[in-house]
Amino acid sequence: MAEKRESIRIKDSQSRRVLDSAARRRRQRKALEALEADNFQDDPHADLRMSKKAPKFEETIDTGPQVGRKKKKRRSDIFKERFRKNFAALLEEEQMMTGDLPGYQTACVPPSHFPERHFCSVCGYPCKFHTFPSNYTCVQCGSRYCSVRCLGTHQDTRCLKWTA
Amino acid sequence: MQKHKVKLAHSLKRKALLQEINGLEKKAKVTNKASSSLEDDANGRKKKSVPNCVIKAKTVRNRIFIGDQIEDCKDLSGLYYLLAFQKGYLINWEIERQVWDYIFGKSYLDVDFDDTSIIITEPYFNFPSIQEAVSEILFEDYQFHSVFRCNSGFLTQSKYYNECKNSSELCCLVIDSGYSFTHVTPYYLDKKIKQGIKRINVGGKILTNHLKEIVSYRQLMVMDETYVMNQVKEDVCFVSLDFFKDMEIAKKHSTANTIVRDYVLPDYTHIKRGHIRDPEDAGTKPTGSEQIIRLNNERFSVPEVLFHPSDIGIQEMGLAETVVHSISCTPEEMHPHLYNNIVVTGGNGLLPGFKERLYNDVRAMAPCELDVRVTCSDNPVNYPWQGGVLMSEHSDFNKQLVTKAEYEEYGYNLCMERFDV
Ligand SMILES: [Zn+2]
Ligand SMILES: [Zn+2]
Repeated sequence: MAEKRESIRIKDSQSRRVLDSAARRRRQRKALEALEADNFQDDPHADLRMSKKAPKFEETIDTGPQVGRKKKKRRSDIFKERFRKNFAALLEEEQMMTGDLPGYQTACVPPSHFPERHFCSVCGYPCKFHTFPSNYTCVQCGSRYCSVRCLGTHQDTRCLKWTA
Repeated sequence: MQKHKVKLAHSLKRKALLQEINGLEKKAKVTNKASSSLEDDANGRKKKSVPNCVIKAKTVRNRIFIGDQIEDCKDLSGLYYLLAFQKGYLINWEIERQVWDYIFGKSYLDVDFDDTSIIITEPYFNFPSIQEAVSEILFEDYQFHSVFRCNSGFLTQSKYYNECKNSSELCCLVIDSGYSFTHVTPYYLDKKIKQGIKRINVGGKILTNHLKEIVSYRQLMVMDETYVMNQVKEDVCFVSLDFFKDMEIAKKHSTANTIVRDYVLPDYTHIKRGHIRDPEDAGTKPTGSEQIIRLNNERFSVPEVLFHPSDIGIQEMGLAETVVHSISCTPEEMHPHLYNNIVVTGGNGLLPGFKERLYNDVRAMAPCELDVRVTCSDNPVNYPWQGGVLMSEHSDFNKQLVTKAEYEEYGYNLCMERFDV
């Protein structure tokens, strides 16, 4: 009995949870990061890794005969040394070298001067535009929606799904 | 005198579209490598782009596919991509080397390195250590006879000025809207004006991923189908010339909605390639096991992100605003020339309506006394490559290169001096 009450209370508090602005920003950032992803799924050959038959990355496969012994040695040297750097490291290196001069950071355009436009997060139609006057905001997560129907879909599917 | 064959490499990113280039009659053998690779030999035999990636297929477990080898794969669903580029910069050399080995190798171009010059393009503000790595690998590893490195905009401006020979233009504004990002770069003659180079972090990849995302949410789970959805994008998306009007049309029902399209997804058994369903069949039920998605406001709200990144929460200027911003960072006497010589390159230029919308938006924001002109060739992807072909034929070409002998004598410093990347 006590257990049951407990679980109801948890459920209730979850359903009424309101995301603060930091959580909303975090959620937005995650969504943007997802747009940069090369793949959504996992490597379909991941389970082959263990097997000897599996093609390894470092090897060239089906590229025809080439690459003398000398090259092969060089190549592994190169990879080990200076040129294996991730994006963040390269960016830091550039900043140290260029300072305030034009570079990767300064080339990025600033935010737009035009007002942001709003769309229903479910159906994608504009909100708060003269022929699309509806404009509601989800109390819990801040998403926009255009109608009761879209709000229902939103609550059933996405509303707090992505919050961690 | 030695006659060098020329390789032209282009380090855009993966481009899932393979294109046949016709009508090039060059003696030089040219490759537009990284994202897209074009080849042309004396007989005009093989000329095409090669995707710059390594692909794993769900159904084929005993091999991987490098570049255009994916053409051998019968089932293109759920492809898994390995890309050497991250945010548009070459980060993973293991992958890139596999692609280069394949393209330069026996089964493809069969390059005679001792007798071949390569032109390779790199993104603006390419990181110093990547630039060094490119030089070192081309000279020391592949042992090319000579190398020329530049931004693709450099090749674009030379092609562009060549086309408007008669008017003797002094400036142009190069827009390169590719897979990873979009750059706007002002050129005075062949020199880029660094403080005017502007980047929007929106490219074809984000558009395809956004399309995947909204279709998956609204209709059918297609998050794993990057290859298929990229084709959907290329087949149905367009840049709206009147966004809110098109939204109104898309909201209408039956025949009043002239925007909605049904798209038949490939199943790789009966349907080898996805396609728009014949509008005649619109009212009828799909036959058999056809899987159909309906594209409506998605058709133009996806490319709209290029013009309004903030629509999806990317707090950056849109393309037209960026054009105005970029030009405002150049000396004032250049402004009339730049507004009048806007040239579009990159795969997103293939979206129907791109050029017209860009013109409309820039026209609306530019000072009214200045003329605005936007050009975009039928093949904006290969436009820089064509500039590379022109360059390789020019009598000055040998002076712009760094040869292997020079590299060995003077080292990488000479590359830094001679190349403006
Ligand atoms: Zn809605
Ligand atoms: Zn919500």
